[in-house]
Amino acid sequence: MYGDLVYTFCRRTLDEGPAKDVTQEVFISAFRSCKRFKPERGTLAAWLIAITKNRIIDHVRTEQRHDKRRSDASPDEVAVESQIEKTGDRLMVVEALRSLPSRPRQVIAMHYFEDLTHRQIAEKLSVPLGTVKSDLRRGISQIRRQLESAHG
Amino acid sequence: MGDDRRGWSDSDVEAVLGAMGADELELLDPPDEVWDGIASAVLTEESRPDTVIAMGPQRRLRRIILSAAAAVVLIAVGVTLVVTLGEDDPVQVVATAELAHDPVVFDALGAEARAGADLVDHDGRQSIKIVDASLPTPEAGADLEVWLIQPDDEGNVADLVSIGLLDPEDPGSLDIPTGYDPGVYFVVDISVEPRDGDAGHSGRSILRGPLQDV
Repeated sequence: MYGDLVYTFCRRTLDEGPAKDVTQEVFISAFRSCKRFKPERGTLAAWLIAITKNRIIDHVRTEQRHDKRRSDASPDEVAVESQIEKTGDRLMVVEALRSLPSRPRQVIAMHYFEDLTHRQIAEKLSVPLGTVKSDLRRGISQIRRQLESAHG
Repeated sequence: MGDDRRGWSDSDVEAVLGAMGADELELLDPPDEVWDGIASAVLTEESRPDTVIAMGPQRRLRRIILSAAAAVVLIAVGVTLVVTLGEDDPVQVVATAELAHDPVVFDALGAEARAGADLVDHDGRQSIKIVDASLPTPEAGADLEVWLIQPDDEGNVADLVSIGLLDPEDPGSLDIPTGYDPGVYFVVDISVEPRDGDAGHSGRSILRGPLQDV
């Protein structure tokens, strides 16, 4: 549970070897510091994503320090960390989407990832057009509420 | 967790979804060797006599990590039965609710409605399964929606969360969003929700009841 979320975050920002190492570090760190997890301040997924993000940034900074010793050219730290942040946000959206009931989840996926119109989705799912619009609107709101709770 | 606070709007969510590709929904499972490393570190620590037993959600978190780690260890020694470190069956009903209609304050559409709700735990993921249901079909342009309510000391609504829309003909199960403890949000509510652009509760409840441990 959540292993795929953490490992995917690592793989989308790091090479395979470091991604495995950082995934291990995240779960061992979470295990050791589980008393710091406060469910009233956010979701377990958000907590693990936050730990993962910090570990990835630590790893990237260490690598950049080594790179600087070898060469004058160094990647823009701010840009790299912004990209890591963005990857984490997207994975939080994926996690929130996964927790939606099946029909709104399907409707959102068809609209955003298959580029189907509301009418095409209604025809494919054999539901009224209003149901598709309602599922989309409520699904988006549920994702937003999860993200808000995830971020305290 | 506290360092990551930011506000989200519906349009922020739409923008993120719009920028994502379908391939981003596919998540990668960590290779077994990753769990091997976690297992050896975590199980060694858990066997120490001075290990502090965490309570509540922290205990659940430890159980999740331990369960994953334990599974790896068991597979490694050729044991095919996956257990969850002495916990109960992976899928179980942990609480039930009998939902009732209050004719004084609830919407009359639910006057003849009846339903129960089971809180089901499936390997750490919790859902509400609507059972023994006879539910009305709402008017055109409206849906039935299931909520979990956190009551205050006087039984009033302190907070609530929607867990999804309900098909009156096939109620099924709805996952509880992560971060919401059904021990705190323990009242199940079914309401009629017009598609009016307001994602909040309409005030038109038809059935409601508290979850009680089985």
